[in-house]
Amino acid sequence: MNPFKLDHLKALNKTAFSILFIASIMIALVGCSGSSSDNGATATQNQTETAANDSNTGGKGSKKDITLEFQQWWGVELPDGVLQQIVDGFTAQTGVKIKLLSNPYADTKTQIAAGAAAGTMADVVGLDGSWVYDFAKHESIANLTDLMKADGYDDSQLSDQIRVDGNTYMIPVVNFAYPMYVNLDIVKEAGVESIPKTWSEFKEATKKISTSTGKAGWAIPLSTESPSGIQNNFMSWLWASGGSMLKDGKPALTNNADLGATVAFVKGLFDSGVVAKGSNSMKEADMVGEFTNGRVAFMTDSLAHLTLIKKEAPQLNFDIIPVPVKDGFAGKSGMDVANWGIGIAENSKYKAEAMKFVEYLMSPEVNAKLAVYANAFPGNSKAEPDYSAADPLFLKAYDIYKTCYAVNEFTGLPTSEELMRSFDEQLQLYLGGDTSSATDMLAETQNIWQDAFK
Amino acid sequence: MVGGKSGYIKVLVVTLLMIGTLFSGFPILWMVLNSFKPNSEIFAWPPTWISKNFLVDAYVEIFKNPEKIRFFVNSYFIAFTAVILTLAISILASYSFSRFKFRGKNVINTIIVSVQAVPPITLLIPYLSLIVTMKLYNTYGALILTYLLFTLPYAILMMTGYLNTLPKDLDEAVMMDGGSRFRALWTVLVPVSVPGLVSVGMYTFMQSWNEYLFALALTKTNEYRTVPVGISLLMGQHAYEWNQMMAMSVLGSLPVLLLFLFFQRYFIAGMTSGAVKH
Amino acid sequence: MRVEKIRRSEPYFYLAPTIILMVILLIIPIIMVVRYSFYDNVIINKHPQFIGFENFAKVFHNKSFSAAAKNTLIFVGGSVIVHLFIGMTFAMLLNTKYLSAKTKALFRVIFALPWMFTASVIAILWKMLLDPHGVVNYLLEIFNLNSTQVEWLASRDFALLSVTIINIWAGYPFYMVSILAGLQGIPSDLYESSAIDGASAVQHFFRITIPQLKPILISLLMLDFVWTLQQFALIWMTTGGGPIHSTEMLSTFIYKLGFSKYQYSQASASAVILLVICSIVAFFYVRHQRGQE
Repeated sequence: MNPFKLDHLKALNKTAFSILFIASIMIALVGCSGSSSDNGATATQNQTETAANDSNTGGKGSKKDITLEFQQWWGVELPDGVLQQIVDGFTAQTGVKIKLLSNPYADTKTQIAAGAAAGTMADVVGLDGSWVYDFAKHESIANLTDLMKADGYDDSQLSDQIRVDGNTYMIPVVNFAYPMYVNLDIVKEAGVESIPKTWSEFKEATKKISTSTGKAGWAIPLSTESPSGIQNNFMSWLWASGGSMLKDGKPALTNNADLGATVAFVKGLFDSGVVAKGSNSMKEADMVGEFTNGRVAFMTDSLAHLTLIKKEAPQLNFDIIPVPVKDGFAGKSGMDVANWGIGIAENSKYKAEAMKFVEYLMSPEVNAKLAVYANAFPGNSKAEPDYSAADPLFLKAYDIYKTCYAVNEFTGLPTSEELMRSFDEQLQLYLGGDTSSATDMLAETQNIWQDAFK
Repeated sequence: MVGGKSGYIKVLVVTLLMIGTLFSGFPILWMVLNSFKPNSEIFAWPPTWISKNFLVDAYVEIFKNPEKIRFFVNSYFIAFTAVILTLAISILASYSFSRFKFRGKNVINTIIVSVQAVPPITLLIPYLSLIVTMKLYNTYGALILTYLLFTLPYAILMMTGYLNTLPKDLDEAVMMDGGSRFRALWTVLVPVSVPGLVSVGMYTFMQSWNEYLFALALTKTNEYRTVPVGISLLMGQHAYEWNQMMAMSVLGSLPVLLLFLFFQRYFIAGMTSGAVKH
Repeated sequence: MRVEKIRRSEPYFYLAPTIILMVILLIIPIIMVVRYSFYDNVIINKHPQFIGFENFAKVFHNKSFSAAAKNTLIFVGGSVIVHLFIGMTFAMLLNTKYLSAKTKALFRVIFALPWMFTASVIAILWKMLLDPHGVVNYLLEIFNLNSTQVEWLASRDFALLSVTIINIWAGYPFYMVSILAGLQGIPSDLYESSAIDGASAVQHFFRITIPQLKPILISLLMLDFVWTLQQFALIWMTTGGGPIHSTEMLSTFIYKLGFSKYQYSQASASAVILLVICSIVAFFYVRHQRGQE
């Protein structure tokens, strides 16, 4: 009955106990890596390989012994098994094994950030455009320009490269567009006849929706925990109307008529009460939940969510439209994109092999396949994804995308996430009435941003 | 008169019990109810109580997935090992604090009390580097050591309090018979300290079972991860699997609940003498 | 002589495992953090320079820091006081003679329920409950207490209150169980003799219960103070310190400095400030304990 088997302890004399005790401490201090394999019967083979990789004993062997770790959040978002199948293709070609470390976005980010500081980053890492600058400056991710040169890789086929101080540190593998989603039933219920194309039409439509249906016209996630709503749901208005928040790569928030108008427009939406409640602590996933539950008429969101929304709410009648533009704007629209980028850890023992793996993922066929499964657009300009089985809404979005240029000005900026966060806070202050004018708000944000660019 | 007064008190007691039950129990009831709903119904307005599409899918999903089962196995292994080590180490230290007067006692005591004040988050980076240097990164050892370290101060504090309540004659009797102090500790004090040990053990188990930040940062692969990390892995960048998160939370807290049910008598007895009288 | 020496070293022998562990795994990281706090940007800079107290000056001049300090004070103070109040009420309730042993056991478990959950689960759960479309607003509406959907976690007026309530919910069982244990340890003859003197229930409470519980209450308050001070996951996962800085705590402030702005030195300096505060509390606690002996 005694839970801790104290009776057994009684039987031990002092010496025997001391030995036992010291041994247990020793086990705790040093040997626990050993004890783990006793319990890891299901994955022993994998573990030994990883261990070999970590301690760098397999370095001098043939390529068959090499295992690259690939840390990313993509595996979680792709259909089950797709990423494994793709990396198996690489192993079949080269004999280099790939160990997938797939975790959700937020956890991947924490791990990569901690790994950057402690030198435990996986060989190949999935990157977000907003992390690149900082990791490159810390020298925790490798200079890909050098690696590509060493391998003689032709980088002209890459649609984009994210550079810091002139060198490439991240290659976007696939891009996700952020068009606007619209709930057609709500629009119909409110008697809105045509889908808005301009800001004033949008304002009118959402006003009508909120007064006649009681539902929200639009939603924006402004949680400061993950302030990506600033790029995807706020700046997307600016970019769609051809505006920019930068000038020569430096912040240009003041004396920026387009941005001033965007702030005023969003403030107007809030003031007319059409924005979904709880925006200050809302995250992207919460916004999608609101839309899926049929409580929001319009949202700007990633095409990656298309499958999810269809799965969660099969009866939801929705469409995809271009982001409305500022009245009178007739130029080419910028469409906000997010990407799955890839980089190589500076502390990787197998940078050359890692580069081969990156090249494999970027090769036209593989890249096209990845794009199809992810509901995304390929990062290799020569890739020809076969979207024939894709959702008609995806194809519609693809058509819209082709009329726009892809843009995300936050990519590659210093402490990018922090820039979004401080913009977010200033925006919240302005929306809450603490800052008297949009000009003041932007001037204050400009000051904060400039510190990061010093 | 007296009967009337105690009648009022009874009404008051029952009212308070109801308020308390609502306050502590309702959120948990809601969690359990939500674990049986399809994901899209979680935020339905007006809320549904018992879903028309009552589903055990979320649970089936967890039990079907060997990776998720693994989180539970890991949590058990790590928590139990941490409990055993914490008990062994803390009883030795407490014995020293309780039965000896020695130089530096107060300083060591102050340090032990104040180190628990260090917010773990501030130590994350140097601690991680240290674990990597010791080649413990991504092992059970890293987590066991961490939880041992987190729970030791409180364990020592509580065990010292408990041992202080035991009369010194107990161990002195053994020593009079020619036994060593060590023998006195293990043959006499430990067996009568079971309530104290259970309290400390429960506390350690709960801390180890529930810790999240270090469990995430000190491991790299899912082979070594614990239940709280498993739960957070259900929060994607784009979507939450609310029902599965709730189901896993329910399953994840069951072991703690069962332990509490099973040991609550000991537990409270242990706290009585342990925490109360320093 | 030799025996004497062994005898003298005996307490240290028992303490050795604790000390070794703490020195290696806790004191070394703490020293590293203290060292970081005196250098300019460590980890990012390969060759950091010693800059004295500059990081501390920067932290003290940071507007978010003072906001965080103020919020932390409200959060910790509110939590600790209400914890004590609820814990005491529930413990007294479960210790009355009006309930049968079985009823007591049942409610002891029900009241202790919040204790069984990890901070991340609590955060997710309450985020769900307090959603503008969540069940709390729904209940307020059907009982006609409120007709608008309150943005519990998203408005600056309610966010700090909301996270404090969540923390109160999560933390009171520890008080309840400890106080319950304490109450059961009070010898019943104390009450009996006082009853003979004709003392009322209220007088009982202040003359016997409180003084008898004093040592445990002080321990509880001290522990709760340091634990609440470092609460991170709960805040981070519900509000992220927002809206604006209305729920910014020292812990979230430090996290943002370190992991989002990559200012490890300033983050370390803030951590050192927190450590000093906690050490002062610990010092008085230990002195108080010594006074008791």
